[in-house]
Amino acid sequence: MIEFSNLNKWFGALHVLSDINLSVAKGEVVVVCGPSGSGKSTLIRCVNGLEPFQKGGLIVDGTELGGSEARLRDLRMEVGFVFQQFNLYPHKTALENVTLAPIHVRKLSKVDAEERGRALLAKVGLGDKMGNYPHQLSGGQQQRVAIARSLAMQPKIMLFDEPTSALDPEMINEVLDVMVSLAREGMTMMVVTHEMGFARKVADRVIFMDRGAIVEMASPETFFTAPKNDRTRDFLSKVLQH
Amino acid sequence: MLGNLNIRVMLEYLPDIWHGFLATLMLSAAGFAGAIVLGIVACALSIQPLRWLKWPAVAYVDAIRATPLLAQLYFLYFGLPRLGVLVPEMVIGVIALSLNSGAYVAEIIRSGILSIQRGQVEAGMSTGLTYLQRMRLIVLPQALRPTVSPLIGQAIVLVKDSSLLSLISVVELTRAGQMIAIDRFMPIEGLVSTALAYLVLYYLLKLMAGLWVHQNRLPGRA
Ligand SMILES: Nc1ncnc2c1ncn2[C@@H]1O[C@H](COP(=O)(O)OP(=O)(O)O)[C@@H](O)[C@H]1O
Ligand SMILES: [Mg+2]
Repeated sequence: MIEFSNLNKWFGALHVLSDINLSVAKGEVVVVCGPSGSGKSTLIRCVNGLEPFQKGGLIVDGTELGGSEARLRDLRMEVGFVFQQFNLYPHKTALENVTLAPIHVRKLSKVDAEERGRALLAKVGLGDKMGNYPHQLSGGQQQRVAIARSLAMQPKIMLFDEPTSALDPEMINEVLDVMVSLAREGMTMMVVTHEMGFARKVADRVIFMDRGAIVEMASPETFFTAPKNDRTRDFLSKVLQH
Repeated sequence: MLGNLNIRVMLEYLPDIWHGFLATLMLSAAGFAGAIVLGIVACALSIQPLRWLKWPAVAYVDAIRATPLLAQLYFLYFGLPRLGVLVPEMVIGVIALSLNSGAYVAEIIRSGILSIQRGQVEAGMSTGLTYLQRMRLIVLPQALRPTVSPLIGQAIVLVKDSSLLSLISVVELTRAGQMIAIDRFMPIEGLVSTALAYLVLYYLLKLMAGLWVHQNRLPGRA
């Protein structure tokens, strides 16, 4: 479903991703962790073409990235992205946020889009907040709307970039619960997060990145109990303390 | 000085001031309409990525902002006939006002658009919206709010700038006031009448801005 082969990316002189090799199968859930600035966001932003890269290859859902803008747009319809800062449209209600792309990109009728939107908002536990504007919602609620907005396009892949890092602690679980049920339904997911409980529960593989490289990749059991790399151990001792 | 204003003469010339008032209103409205169109086009060109479309827009904005309106007005007044374009002074005046204000309007709209966070555009991209859809559905509706106040400010500047058209013998408010000065040797009466009329225009614009803000409050926000 996602196939990185020797992918390299630079920001000017900064080598942000070096020789990334990774393949994610359909239905697989991959958790990406690592210190701040190690290139996690950049890695998953490559998957839906938000970041271009200079060397190597990346194939997502059969589409070779680095092609034309039109192909990129077709691909983005199949790949949902959830941002750390939610990025909801502040001038639109929760329901309008969710129905915008289905109406304008998938060309659904307003009635059909709203039916789909209502069902999704109900699914993420916001059946009673459809008419609210983003500023009338808590952080956890906003992030759940953002997830529903991505799901409304019925994507084949979902990417999450630290979806709970901007949230107050008491709101983290309501968002993780939605992600867990999504994973159990068989969604292909790449999730950048430091929520190790989530990784244990649903990840098929955990990746540790440092300075732009994948340093360790293992099943959650191995990753948490017998990490091979020193830097992984060091990192784990820090995040697992709390 | 103002204590012994000759109110009788001012009233006598009220019809002329009224005509001047209407002329200034029309010239400004036409000028501002042109400025909005030019401003949107110049702004659209300056933020899109193709360089050969970008530079004419940037050059236009810079040229206008760097030179005085009076020079631009005379340039058109003497320049257009040389190019064989023979149009009434009034039309030249409207063109000058549109060209001048258009550059400032372009900058106002541009800064409104740039104030929208990158994440908004990325959210749109990630769901497959095209560039034009992102602009129309996400960026522009949000950019409108922060631009309304500065745009009204620009309209107020334009109304006052339109007084320069009196120099190419367009009959508008300032010119009408000068008539009182010339006919009756009462410059102060002329200036006070004119100033009061400009004040009325100013408050009209302020009122419109207030109404817009009131009507377009974000739902659920004070
Ligand atoms: N647009 C950019 N321009 C230049 N450098 C960037 C840009 N985005 C990220 N970087 C740099 O690339 C590195 C990796 O960033 P990022 O992928 O955001 O890391 P992470 O998500 O792991 O914290 C960091 O050093 C960051 O400063
Ligand atoms: Mg990041």
